[in-house]
Amino acid sequence: MSGRRIAILIEKELREFRAHPALILPVVILVVVCTLLPLLVIVILPRTMGQSLATDRGMAQMIEKAQAHLPSLRGLSPQAAAEAFLFQQFLLLFLMAPIVGAVSLAAYAVVGEKQGRTLEPLLTTPISTSELLVAKVLAAFLPSIVIEAAGLAVYFLMVAAIASPGVLHALLTPRAAVLIVALGPFAALAALQGTIAISSRVNDARSAQQIAVLLVMPLMAMFVGQIAGGFFLSSAMLALFSAALAGAWVILVLLSVALFERETILTRWDHG
Amino acid sequence: MIAAQAVSRRFGARLAVDNVTFDVGAGEVFGLLGPNGAGKTTTLRMLGGLILPTSGTVSIGGERFSRSTGAALRARIGFLTETPGLWDHLTVWDNLLTYARLFGVAQPDLSVERTLRTFELLDRRGDRVAVLSKGMKQKLALARALVHEPSIVLLDEPTANLDPQTARMVRDLLRGLRSRGRAIVISTHNLDEAERMSDRVALMRQTLIAVGEPAALRRDVFGRRLRVRFLGTAPAAALLAAIAARAGGHDVRVDGAELSMVLESPDADAPAVIRALVDAGVQVREAFDEQPALEEVYLKLLGGRGDAA
Repeated sequence: MSGRRIAILIEKELREFRAHPALILPVVILVVVCTLLPLLVIVILPRTMGQSLATDRGMAQMIEKAQAHLPSLRGLSPQAAAEAFLFQQFLLLFLMAPIVGAVSLAAYAVVGEKQGRTLEPLLTTPISTSELLVAKVLAAFLPSIVIEAAGLAVYFLMVAAIASPGVLHALLTPRAAVLIVALGPFAALAALQGTIAISSRVNDARSAQQIAVLLVMPLMAMFVGQIAGGFFLSSAMLALFSAALAGAWVILVLLSVALFERETILTRWDHG
Repeated sequence: MIAAQAVSRRFGARLAVDNVTFDVGAGEVFGLLGPNGAGKTTTLRMLGGLILPTSGTVSIGGERFSRSTGAALRARIGFLTETPGLWDHLTVWDNLLTYARLFGVAQPDLSVERTLRTFELLDRRGDRVAVLSKGMKQKLALARALVHEPSIVLLDEPTANLDPQTARMVRDLLRGLRSRGRAIVISTHNLDEAERMSDRVALMRQTLIAVGEPAALRRDVFGRRLRVRFLGTAPAAALLAAIAARAGGHDVRVDGAELSMVLESPDADAPAVIRALVDAGVQVREAFDEQPALEEVYLKLLGGRGDAA
């Protein structure tokens, strides 16, 4: 596999995104929503309505349970602890946003080349199938992760600015680091690679997108389960889960290469 | 330089290409002619390593195309695909630069600049491809196929959508490539173009029906027909036919002030025919070898059912 050819193709994809910013808009919108939603739900709305999270009985019980896994909540005021707990939980949702957005980029990646009849000329070059598919995934992944990083910076800055004292410090934990550095990126890579595999087998981006969205369902279930207090994933469990996702990505690379049939893709359009 | 040996290709139950064998040497232009669905594009794709034959082999410089050699061999080929297939959102420059780099050109910027200059597209370098005319897109696609200076050039309808001036420029360019030793295979519906550009042509319908120089194909199909035009009142048709037959002509046809016949040995027999006509008092205005258009050869060999002309 040639890193040089992968980099060239990624550069080309990024130029296309720059020339056609609408492609990247879903990622931006989702990150903005996921940045603002927790602040709205956790800080702004309760304050506007004159309510306190600390007075909610259910919330107090949940935090008491969570303190066993999140020592950083200890020593905070009840209000700050509630905010810190919820901000932690929303972090997971935040990490899913770029995946969902990037899936639309990835879904279009191969289908778009097919529809624009640009795939055949590309396949006349020395590029291999694995290089093509990895480049497509990374090209969708990189802008998503940059937008996500920007969103995270805004998220933490806003937490620092408007949340209760001590909340930001309570958020900066090894668990958050695992979520941001490992779970988010590997989940994104696995979902994108799966989407690319689907994209190479279907003839329109919408079908690829619809099927690919199913790939993020397990993560969504994890978020809902955590918010509902059904279970709590520790740093170690998240690290393990991240490692599994990294393995899944590698397997999906191999699978997508096996599923990508150059000849069928070319000749399905025309048997000239 | 590039050779197809007993190449066949099936798509499911359909046989697209059947037992095709030919080779194209350095400095040669080889034209592939045939009706729609004759297997020309499939043959080009096999030559370019985009699809592998079901049976038979394609080789470049003696090295066979396979899954393991494909990438290295493709680097030696410039392939103009049936549709331009350019990235519409990117500029002319970025389209070409991406390909130059993918092909591993040592100084891609210089190469792109030189190629754009050759194709008179340098002043459009910053334009997005989406705003180009069809003809310009075709020119750019051709430029893309040549940006890495390949030793083998495969062209699917190279002058489609081009205005006459640009088509001529492309033909001149291909002659230049031929003189620099490139092996060029052209698939085209334009028989006039094929005749003007190709050293050899192949008529194809799933399999090769005929291969050879255009002039040789004409001879093989129609023989060498001598045509004689008269001045003044033409003698009676029966007399003309008799004179021609005596001098060795057959398939004699008389049409007004024109007589034509097939001669087995035109160089030896034509002077005798003309002498006999002059002796009979016929005023000969001109005599020449008939050159049926390649289209006639094409239609005759393909049974008049081809739709390419």
